[in-house]
Amino acid sequence: MALASLDRLSYWYPGSGRPALDAVSLAVDPGLIVIAGPSGGGKSTLLRVLNGLVPHFHGGRVAGAATVAGLDVLRTPTRRLARHVGFVFQDPERQAVYSTVEREVAFGLESLAVPPAAMPAQVEAALVQAGIAHLSGRRLATLSGGERQRVAVAAALVLDPEIVALDEPTSQLDTDGVALVLAASRELAAAGRAVVLAEHRPQAVLAAAGRLLAVEDGRLAPVSARRFQVRPAPRPRPVDAAWELRRVSAGPGARPVLEDVELTGGAGEVLALVGPNGGGKTTLLRCLAGLLRPLSGAVMRPPGRVAYLPQDPAALLHRPTVRDEVELTLRRSGEVPDAGPMLQRLGLVAVAGRYPRDLSSGERQRAALAAVLAGSPSLALLDEPTRGMDQRARRALAALVEDLRERGSAVVVATHDAELVAAVADRVVRVERGRAVDTGSPRAATAITLERVPAELPA
Amino acid sequence: MSGRAAAAWSAACLLGVLLTTNPAYRALALAACLAAVLTGAGWRRTRPLLVGVGLAVLSAVMLNLAFSHFGADPLFVLSDGWVLIGGPWTLEALAFGLASGLAVAAAVLAVAPLSLLLEPHQVVDALPAPLARTGAAAAASLNLVPGLRRSFTAIAEAQRMRGWRPRGPASWSEVVVPAVLTAIEDSIQLAEAMEARGFGSGPRTRFRPAPLVRADLLLLAGAALSMALLVAARLLGQAADWLPYPYLRLPAVTPLGVIAYLPLFLPAWLWRSLR
Repeated sequence: MALASLDRLSYWYPGSGRPALDAVSLAVDPGLIVIAGPSGGGKSTLLRVLNGLVPHFHGGRVAGAATVAGLDVLRTPTRRLARHVGFVFQDPERQAVYSTVEREVAFGLESLAVPPAAMPAQVEAALVQAGIAHLSGRRLATLSGGERQRVAVAAALVLDPEIVALDEPTSQLDTDGVALVLAASRELAAAGRAVVLAEHRPQAVLAAAGRLLAVEDGRLAPVSARRFQVRPAPRPRPVDAAWELRRVSAGPGARPVLEDVELTGGAGEVLALVGPNGGGKTTLLRCLAGLLRPLSGAVMRPPGRVAYLPQDPAALLHRPTVRDEVELTLRRSGEVPDAGPMLQRLGLVAVAGRYPRDLSSGERQRAALAAVLAGSPSLALLDEPTRGMDQRARRALAALVEDLRERGSAVVVATHDAELVAAVADRVVRVERGRAVDTGSPRAATAITLERVPAELPA
Repeated sequence: MSGRAAAAWSAACLLGVLLTTNPAYRALALAACLAAVLTGAGWRRTRPLLVGVGLAVLSAVMLNLAFSHFGADPLFVLSDGWVLIGGPWTLEALAFGLASGLAVAAAVLAVAPLSLLLEPHQVVDALPAPLARTGAAAAASLNLVPGLRRSFTAIAEAQRMRGWRPRGPASWSEVVVPAVLTAIEDSIQLAEAMEARGFGSGPRTRFRPAPLVRADLLLLAGAALSMALLVAARLLGQAADWLPYPYLRLPAVTPLGVIAYLPLFLPAWLWRSLR
């Protein structure tokens, strides 16, 4: 008997006339199931059915049936299903309740009134299962993104659930972080649990997947792994120097994160900064943007506007409509406030008059891209631009970067995303431990960050 | 450090501040709190809080000075044409405002160690069992604060790059509105994460609360001693109230009253190792 099963389950969010899940049937058995699909397609909703957050937390209407560990999901509250389904959310920073590792992992045990004497052994076992026994006693603030996400995995495992649901757990992580989470998922699947993992970009996890499914427009369908394979396309080109870092040392405090960095970028060139979390990529971008004054050295920028796309750019949106957001940037940069071409390019014409925060997450990401990159910046700086982006938004971003390059803008992208590097970068610089090393073509960089991708997986 | 010991010390300080209006005793309580916070958290971490406390004291002084026109010793007289603030501005009103400001400052600094020196779970552990659920929710909220600060800074920087410049209070809406909306979305996400981990199932238990060490026991004993002496001093008329109106006079101070406040200075010795 399957650990969980959905039988023609349909679900409508409150106030929505369109189903987020449309007659979905699925049997969840032990092993690793990867669920791909675009943003807003229904992946997260499907995962939330497994522990009852949909419909108990979010409200809305349901039709069909769902059972988990023999319990009727529609009649069992989430807090009771929590004993059977562990859940890991996308952003490790937004799911932590406490500030130390052991206490954070023990939160679920405290909630279910497990006797205090039994807790330490269970916490220790969960830390071992998640591969982070060595982090015991540490403060969360001192951990890397990958380590924090593993703490979230341990917190989900501590109640010994039969099913572990992971909602885009790697989208915030560098290559090492992805490897940590992936290894934990493999071990859980090998231990006889069902691991259901939703990902926009499943390349990194396909090698470990037992089944691959896609959810699009609320419908579940099998999908070929070939769809997600990456084909690097390097295209070096001669460029004129547009910006330069001359022996720059910089950091948010007195202690430099970057040390003696020498780097030049050209007009019409896309430079990708790669490297681990905390290596100095964001510091380098902030120096180039003028948001951080170097401790020593000099920064040369081209004349004209500098556009800066921060991590989580959707957080910027505050105007009444998407069109207003784009026009605000154009007006402020002294350009003609005609948002039309940009909205057209990013497929946002239909939602131009809507409040940006009411849009689906994919549309919201594209709205933020349009708002920040509108017009003709001479230098565009993009910090982890594909975090949490679906395929459509990623394609829009790649097209936008290509457009900026053609118009002679210098573009610098800090990213963990090998696919993006392959798609847009002319040159790759690895930033690690405060140093910047030019690694040349994108092909070399992607070769060391991508795992082997299998041709086909059972659906 | 045990959350219970710190909470007991905070309670003793609050009692010392609220038990009497005598500014000399309030100043003693303030000195004890200031010494404790500076010892435990250091000047750099405490500075923003002290700036805020200073502004609160200044506000208390100015409000009382401007609106209370009682007292026998006018500093100057403002024409009656000034609505509400017109009339004599007196030395007594200044003194009363200062005494009120002392109380506000001491009360804030008395509870400051609970956020500056303790982890959120230590504060939860200091609460009685029936409040554990509320405490866990409060701890989760406290955990959002650093993220909120980072989010505010990131949004301000990104808006600046889009051409935004801070020009008057209204212009800040471009940073504050998205920061608040993001904070609300983060809160909903956290609530969802807590629910997914069984929060709200019923009575909670606690994971291995920190054991009481010698310093905690000393602090608990000091807090208990101080509270007992404060109550005794009050009952014996040794910590009497003070009122500057209508004539300003010096506050009365007695040996028992002063001794009652001395145990509150214990953290200045016990918390040296925290930094």
